Amino acid sequence: MKLKKNDSFKCYLISSPSLALIALIVVFPIIYTFYISLTNMNTYHWFNPEIIGFKNYKQALFVMDSGFLKAIFITIVWTAVNMVFQMVIAFSIASLLNSPLLKYRRLYKTILMFPWAMPGYVSILLWKTGMFNSQFGLLNQWLTKLGFSSIRWLASDLSAFICCTVVNLWLALPFMIMIIDGGLQSIDRSFYESATMDGASTFCKAVKITIPCLKPIIGPAVIITLFTTFKQFDIIYLMTRQPGSQTGSTIQTIITYAYENAFISNNYGYSSSISIIIFIMLMVFARFSLFTNKKEEAL
Amino acid sequence: MKKKNPLKIFTINIFFIIACFFALLPILYAFSLSLNANSSILSSDFSFIPKVLSLKNYKAVFVEKPVIMWFLNTFSLAFFTVILSLSVSIPAAYMFSEFSFKGKKPIIRILILLYSFPSILSMFAIYKLLSNLNLINTRIGLVIVYTGTMAIFGLINMKGYFDTIPNEIEDAARLDGASDFMVVRKIIIPLARPSIIVTGIQVLIYVWNEYIFAINFMTGSDKFTLASGLYTMQATEKSGSWAVFSAASIVISIPILTIFFLSQKYMISGLTSGGVKG
Repeated sequence: MKLKKNDSFKCYLISSPSLALIALIVVFPIIYTFYISLTNMNTYHWFNPEIIGFKNYKQALFVMDSGFLKAIFITIVWTAVNMVFQMVIAFSIASLLNSPLLKYRRLYKTILMFPWAMPGYVSILLWKTGMFNSQFGLLNQWLTKLGFSSIRWLASDLSAFICCTVVNLWLALPFMIMIIDGGLQSIDRSFYESATMDGASTFCKAVKITIPCLKPIIGPAVIITLFTTFKQFDIIYLMTRQPGSQTGSTIQTIITYAYENAFISNNYGYSSSISIIIFIMLMVFARFSLFTNKKEEAL
Repeated sequence: MKKKNPLKIFTINIFFIIACFFALLPILYAFSLSLNANSSILSSDFSFIPKVLSLKNYKAVFVEKPVIMWFLNTFSLAFFTVILSLSVSIPAAYMFSEFSFKGKKPIIRILILLYSFPSILSMFAIYKLLSNLNLINTRIGLVIVYTGTMAIFGLINMKGYFDTIPNEIEDAARLDGASDFMVVRKIIIPLARPSIIVTGIQVLIYVWNEYIFAINFMTGSDKFTLASGLYTMQATEKSGSWAVFSAASIVISIPILTIFFLSQKYMISGLTSGGVKG
């Protein structure tokens, strides 16, 4: 596609409202956050913060019990576990949706979209109170009915991690199912027919035809989901870490960790240094995942 | 061709019925609880079909809580954010899609990198910025923050779609003497409707669901949005009003559910072509 040359000044003038807003709300706060990260700003030094250099960074990265390294570790585990489950389950459900035996495909698809359509925070709060609440949550009601004693689902680290993973899968699967479903429908049927004639097994067809054909179609969606999972805040914050109603688990992702250090313990300087470290991590990550050869051409 | 095996058909349908049950589980639970006349939810004999139906929990939502005001607050925030977002993003997306100019490629690269940065990490800096501008606790302040947060998404998502519109159509219009503004209004906007609708809806859903800026930047329950209102309902009260909370959740979700399912056919195409998700 050939692009027209235009007067650069005019282009910038017309784009300026958008670029100015981005500069004000995205770029400037990041620079300002970097500045704060070099100071000791907290409740005591609110009006007279002093520049203390990279001390906050040192505390985050080299003091083992600062909690940040643990949060990074948990965030990586969280991302890996969620991505694996999400891909496997979404792929299985999407494949079954495309089964020729299924009659009410559209109906099932619509119902499975609900978790995506619901406002995210409402769903999370409904899961927290409706399902996992230790007194009247549905899970414990069922357990009691079956004669077991009730469980405090969100009180210990492992069980809270599993509960949060369940909620994340519940929230994120519909998008992935729809993407894979769209991909599956775009694969040429004749590939499968000739493979069947050559005597290929179902598993062989999945590995040799379905997965290679899906890759370019679902690739961008997978990368985006990877980012959203890594940056997940709402689930862990709303389920376990709301001020005044912490449930007892100590799992933190890096984002909830940064948030709590700023808005709960008012350690603004330290929290800002965490933000900048996460920012650099995301930049490096984005640089390598988003600008692969194909994307480059599209720019 | 495969033979139709009744057992297989049965199994696959059972599988999807169970999957759908899980997809609806918390919503169904909240829904039936909200309609239950018996407010002592601690009783262990819960069933999905309430024994005595009653709308008193819904009545409580509208009478005891300023839900209508929260709704109006949310609606006005969403309305102005969507209008402002589209009116700054459409021209910029058009410029970045149609023309080549100095500095365009590096700007797009930087924007894509910045897009991966979650705004919550710079929230404290944004707070200080707004308080210096005297915009804390004002709706204008929140509209600016929301628009700025969604501006990169709007620009990149719509640029991606504009790129797919063949240049010949615009060239023909230009030969007939149409100005840039006319080209955008008469050709780009009608042809890019799916992408514009999806971008608008994503912005709307973002504002509707956003609570963390709303609770930190706005004080006083007359300024609450639906999201921050619901947030405080669950944070301040324990088990007693869980049925009312469920009713409020349902009330708050219905507009978004409606918009989502009405625009569903645009959703996949309008999002994936631009390569970013809101």
